[in-house]
Amino acid sequence: MKGHFGKYGGRYVPEMLIPALEELDQAYAVAKKDKQFRKEFTDLLRNFSGRPTPLVFAKNLTQKLGGAKIYLKNEGLNHTGAHKITHCIGQALIAKRIGKTRLIAETGAGQHGVATATVAAKFGFSCTVYMGEVDIARQRPNVFLMEQLGAKVVPVPFGSKTLKDAVNAAIKDWIENVKDTHYVLGSVVGPHPFPTMNRDFQSIIGKEIRKQLKEAEGILPDYVIACVGGGSNAMGAFTDFIKESSVHLIGVEAGGRGKKIGQHAVRFPSGSVGVVEGYKSYFLQDSDGQLQKTHSISAGLDYPGIGPELSFLHDNNRVKFVSITDQEALEAVKTLSELEGIIPALESAHAVAHAIKIAPKLSKSKTIVVNLSGRGDKDIFILTKAFKDKKFYEFMKNLVEEGI
Amino acid sequence: MTKLEEKLQQIKKEERVGLMTHVVIGYPTLEETISIAKTMAENGVDIIELQIPFSDPLADGPTIMHACEKSLENGTKVKDAFIIMRQLTSQIPTPLLFMAYYNTVFKYGVEKFCKNAQAAGASGLIVPDMPIDEESEEHFLFFCRKYDLHNIQVISPASTEDRLKKNAEVASGFVYCTARQGITGAKDQLDQNITTYIEKVKSFFSVPVAIGFGISKRQHIQALKPHADIAVIGSAIINIINKSNESDTKQKIKQFLLELKS
Ligand SMILES: Cc1ncc(COP(=O)(O)O)c(C=O)c1O
Repeated sequence: MKGHFGKYGGRYVPEMLIPALEELDQAYAVAKKDKQFRKEFTDLLRNFSGRPTPLVFAKNLTQKLGGAKIYLKNEGLNHTGAHKITHCIGQALIAKRIGKTRLIAETGAGQHGVATATVAAKFGFSCTVYMGEVDIARQRPNVFLMEQLGAKVVPVPFGSKTLKDAVNAAIKDWIENVKDTHYVLGSVVGPHPFPTMNRDFQSIIGKEIRKQLKEAEGILPDYVIACVGGGSNAMGAFTDFIKESSVHLIGVEAGGRGKKIGQHAVRFPSGSVGVVEGYKSYFLQDSDGQLQKTHSISAGLDYPGIGPELSFLHDNNRVKFVSITDQEALEAVKTLSELEGIIPALESAHAVAHAIKIAPKLSKSKTIVVNLSGRGDKDIFILTKAFKDKKFYEFMKNLVEEGI
Repeated sequence: MTKLEEKLQQIKKEERVGLMTHVVIGYPTLEETISIAKTMAENGVDIIELQIPFSDPLADGPTIMHACEKSLENGTKVKDAFIIMRQLTSQIPTPLLFMAYYNTVFKYGVEKFCKNAQAAGASGLIVPDMPIDEESEEHFLFFCRKYDLHNIQVISPASTEDRLKKNAEVASGFVYCTARQGITGAKDQLDQNITTYIEKVKSFFSVPVAIGFGISKRQHIQALKPHADIAVIGSAIINIINKSNESDTKQKIKQFLLELKS
């Protein structure tokens, strides 16, 4: 069957969803070969989202670390602030082709929700976004933005009240409303064709990196580093380099607050193979197959599963996985802001932190590309709290006291 | 003939709509699961599905989801499901099925799960998120056959003729049709086109037809006659459990079942 990456992937869903997935699969297969579709997609990426995103040499950071050259692929300069808009545009175009009038999505950090709400507004879909109650509490600004864009944000009170539960809620909505609704799944997870389709849409990241680095240095990168929640920005950055055996591909997972269960979202090596949310992959689960609680300071990495193709690439040793703690990610936000004038999303800061770790150990002739999946504006409340910014706290207190 | 097949034949012969009910193992407690299932068996229930609680139940609405969450919080383990199955099959003659999500089966080991389910006396398995397309990868149907378990296929009003045909080819015991395109949960009204849908399903399947999802009342069951063979009641009974306390749960379930059948 299609949609397998070795033993991973597949389409493990109730019979009720099979017709919708088959329809989507076919529509995508046709669209992929359709010049008009590709033209429209490319045009929107350029004129609506602002691609190509820059690949910038992180000169100060490189000098400070004294090792490998570090380049930053600034996906944060996409419209809505992260790479997520790319697969949302792609899926919205497909949804239009199959006559759907409503988009639904899950969101963790809120980035994918904002991106979905954005394309819904642009293309005239109605929109509902599911978000765990825990995530709503920590990413309120994005809830506001989604609502401004006309989306309905539905809090999910079940399970761990985070991203995985939002996925479950969205799948259930889809089951009930499959006739007029397209589910804009926000990463390279879920049942076939989502992992393949979203990877294809996102693979523009790696293609641009290749071209831009060639122009700048005339070389291929030696390392490409990306953070991995479900894996969409990572697969986007990696795909074009999988066949280039000289390019090291590194996925960075959320090490959270520690190694105990519930304190992190490190699937490798803590996870084991399972079948959840429609796909087979590594999951953080107990011996009975119950998904375990996860934690990360970055909502976008706070997820117990991982894209099936990444599990396959992990087993093949093609992609290496490492983890970065909440604290290290916070420090990386500071470092990158001060040295490079870029405030990265907390998710992306995990990738930066790993580059900071390895660059000094590598020779100056080596080149690292860090995929900065998003910008940090959305994290302002988490950052001000983590950095104990008293003035910001007073500002909020005053705001609250003033009342609405 | 298996225990389940005998029961299905009996229902046919008596020209009635059989009744299948549902419990979440460990909800409210493991002890109560036993007493609730016994109450069901004593009050005219033909088949009982025992749902193994799972952290991420994709096809379930809030009622069953909440029951699964509570059961897991109580510490219910997959091994308890086999213990409960064994206890019940030794105490009541009712054919019992496991309802589980595929990760539970997969993680346990598909063959081991099937083997132990048979040993515990289960008549079959309902695993809604194990589609036939993944059989070559999982060998789920293969092991159901090997250990004499009926694999109950689940289909929906959205199932295309192609899907109905493919599922009919592997169907065993009976086919579970969801009454509507949706997730589990008690509803006030049945879909108006339900009988047309059942008749369509029957033109593809040779096994008896069960209708579930949203069934909660006597009128619903009446409306299924003479089209469906079995009516499935799930969330409606959990709603009753939620509204009663330990001392009167059994009585309330009994009353509900008697009203259904009156
Ligand atoms: C900025 C950013 N980076 C990364 C992620 C993680 O998702 P993925 O692993 O699919 O790229 C998210 C998810 O919300 C995000 O917002």
